[in-house]
Amino acid sequence: MCSSVLVESDGRMKVEEWQHSYHGDSGIQSGANTVREDDGDYGTSKYTTVTTTTVSSEYPEGTRQPSCAGNLDAQYTLTRAQRMLKVAIIHLINYQDDAELATRAVPELTKLLNDEDQVVVSKAALIVNQLTRKEASRRVLMQSPQVVAAVVRAMQNTSDMETARATASILHNLSHQREGLLAIFKSGGIPALVRMLSSPMESVLFYAITTLHNLLLHQEGAKMAVRLADGLQRMVPLLKKSNPKFLAITTDCLQLLSYGNQESKLIILANNGPEGLVHIMRNYNYEKLLWTTSRVLKVLSVCPSNKPAIVEAGGMQALGKHLTGSSQRLMQNCLWTLRNLSDAATKQEGMDGLLQVLVGLLSSDDVNMLTCATGILSNLTCNNAYNKTLVTQGNGVEALIHAVLRAGEKEDVTEPAVCALRHLTSRQQQAETAQHAVRMHYGVPAIVKLLNQPYYWPVIKAVVGLIRNLALCPENQTPLRDAGAIPRLVNLLLKAHQDAQKRGSSNQQTYQDGVRMEEIVEGCTGALHIMARDPVNRGEIANMQTIPLFVQLLYSPVDNVKRVAAGILCELALDKQSADLIDKEGASSPLMELLHSSNEGIATYAAAVLFRISEDKNTDYKKRVSVELTHSLFRHDPAAWERVSSAAPCWPPQLDVAYGGYPGDMGMDGMMEPEMLPEEYQPAYDRHQYADQY
Amino acid sequence: MNREEIPGKSPEEMYIQQKVRVLLMLKKMGSNLTPSEEAFLRNYAGVVHSQMSQLPQHNIDQGAEDVVMAFSRSEAEDRRQ
Repeated sequence: MCSSVLVESDGRMKVEEWQHSYHGDSGIQSGANTVREDDGDYGTSKYTTVTTTTVSSEYPEGTRQPSCAGNLDAQYTLTRAQRMLKVAIIHLINYQDDAELATRAVPELTKLLNDEDQVVVSKAALIVNQLTRKEASRRVLMQSPQVVAAVVRAMQNTSDMETARATASILHNLSHQREGLLAIFKSGGIPALVRMLSSPMESVLFYAITTLHNLLLHQEGAKMAVRLADGLQRMVPLLKKSNPKFLAITTDCLQLLSYGNQESKLIILANNGPEGLVHIMRNYNYEKLLWTTSRVLKVLSVCPSNKPAIVEAGGMQALGKHLTGSSQRLMQNCLWTLRNLSDAATKQEGMDGLLQVLVGLLSSDDVNMLTCATGILSNLTCNNAYNKTLVTQGNGVEALIHAVLRAGEKEDVTEPAVCALRHLTSRQQQAETAQHAVRMHYGVPAIVKLLNQPYYWPVIKAVVGLIRNLALCPENQTPLRDAGAIPRLVNLLLKAHQDAQKRGSSNQQTYQDGVRMEEIVEGCTGALHIMARDPVNRGEIANMQTIPLFVQLLYSPVDNVKRVAAGILCELALDKQSADLIDKEGASSPLMELLHSSNEGIATYAAAVLFRISEDKNTDYKKRVSVELTHSLFRHDPAAWERVSSAAPCWPPQLDVAYGGYPGDMGMDGMMEPEMLPEEYQPAYDRHQYADQY
Repeated sequence: MNREEIPGKSPEEMYIQQKVRVLLMLKKMGSNLTPSEEAFLRNYAGVVHSQMSQLPQHNIDQGAEDVVMAFSRSEAEDRRQ
């Protein structure tokens, strides 16, 4: 059997390959479309004419073939080979035919697409659309910039729906190959396709968005072109459509455009993108759509402007719905997004379900999941008493402790977990319950151990704050002491103070791992202050020669440091020995200054220490303290004096107006300036007149 | 000094009122008092009673405030699946 075939220069090889391996459906029998490959490369080789001869039988013509079974098998095999070869040849012929046809038709079709008669344009578009369905002809078309440009022109100028549909379909078909994408891009197809996003025809919309999606994925320069053509402004309103697959492509386009581009994120915000995206998360079940949408939200969640908008639209709750499904990739995306949003959601209501799920996720062994769950919980319990109570009641303390134990040295987990525990153990109704729970779930030793080296200062800062809260519960004082909290806190305090002093003269802030050493000084002193409420702890703290350092801290320029220093001295001064030592260290002078602090806590602690160290002092000293208090802590509180003086028992008259530092002729009443008193308390006498009599 | 003619307080009165006030504020802040300070308050119960209503209603020392952690500093590359 002889056949004349037209093959490419590598066509013979292709035929041989097909003979050996071609089992697919060429479409000859079934009529199916040609399979398009994204990166198919058939090259642009020359066509040559070859004559081949094929022998169909091993026996010469005219001879009788044996009729045994072996011969039948051989015949069958040969027939099958012939059949396959025939199919391959037809395939090649069709391919060549298609290519030739398209090549001959392109100039004419271009002319017709540019015709003034819209009917002509419409018919031409239909024909070209047919041609793009076959690979060979499609290749020819995409290699003709004129025809692609004509298609683009026809699409954007037509008012005929069928023409719009056909031209959009043409571009869609061309967009499956890189050559086609380039041709569309160079022909100004992007602005035209963006305009098609406003079409009332669903099919046009689908073709347009899919083509744009392919361009955004594979064509360099497409993102900029889509942005310049106001593509975002047209795409965001499409989020109201209801076809899940359409929405999946649209949201993916938004992600491609907005990733790393702040301006795009703001455009999405300006067009109510957050509401549309949250609506999808709330109302759809199609996994791919939920995943693509969560990716957009993740991109937007790092934008300071989009963040509050997503939260206000109910984003936290909507994302929280997808933390218990079977799609790992969706769950992880939602968690990262929630983590990013969480610092803007501290005042949000309706977090009950989410908080419960997050507590459940704390039992996961996946470090990414733990990182996200602890981070979100830390922020959602920040200054939110309701959320704190909910998490405490939901066994959150136990779950957080277990997370800390499992995290080891993974600071991305331990820091937020400890912060969350610190939040739960203060400023909420169940704070005491949480403080007890930490102890009961064996959390104290694990927490104190986090103060060991190597120091990661954000974790240290969180831990000392937590220890301070735990010490508010008297039952925790002994376990904290037994775990070695006191020496660790004192050593950290010394180190941080020394580091702060070193840079103090150059007026630089001392940061390590993003934490100021003054914060560590404050935190450690604050923790020791509360621990000093226990008498045994008090003795241990004093025995570590800490009093001189605390007195020095009274001179700190930082109010918070002054407060905790005065606070711990106040506790230590309960013991006579420590009170004497505090006095010997010269604490009176800075404490007198601190009486004038506008911070009530500082002034109160300072006054208390002065009262305690002045127990054995003479009357002069006590009066001086009293006078200082009158001019400081109680300067705005004259009503109290008048009200209580009548309730006080009768004093022996031991008036002594002359004492150190004050004019001898000034009576005690003169210590209060008239203008500081409310009107009804103006003295009814002249102080100088009466003082002269004594 | 004729106390009936000169309204006001003696230094001792001032001292006692101030000390009562400070001790009450300390108690409100959760601090401990010495036995003698507790006795002092018992001795001047009248002063204590009248001072109680003058104490500030808000919490004076609750420790450091809660602080949010800022996680959304940068976008992480997203592997397309």
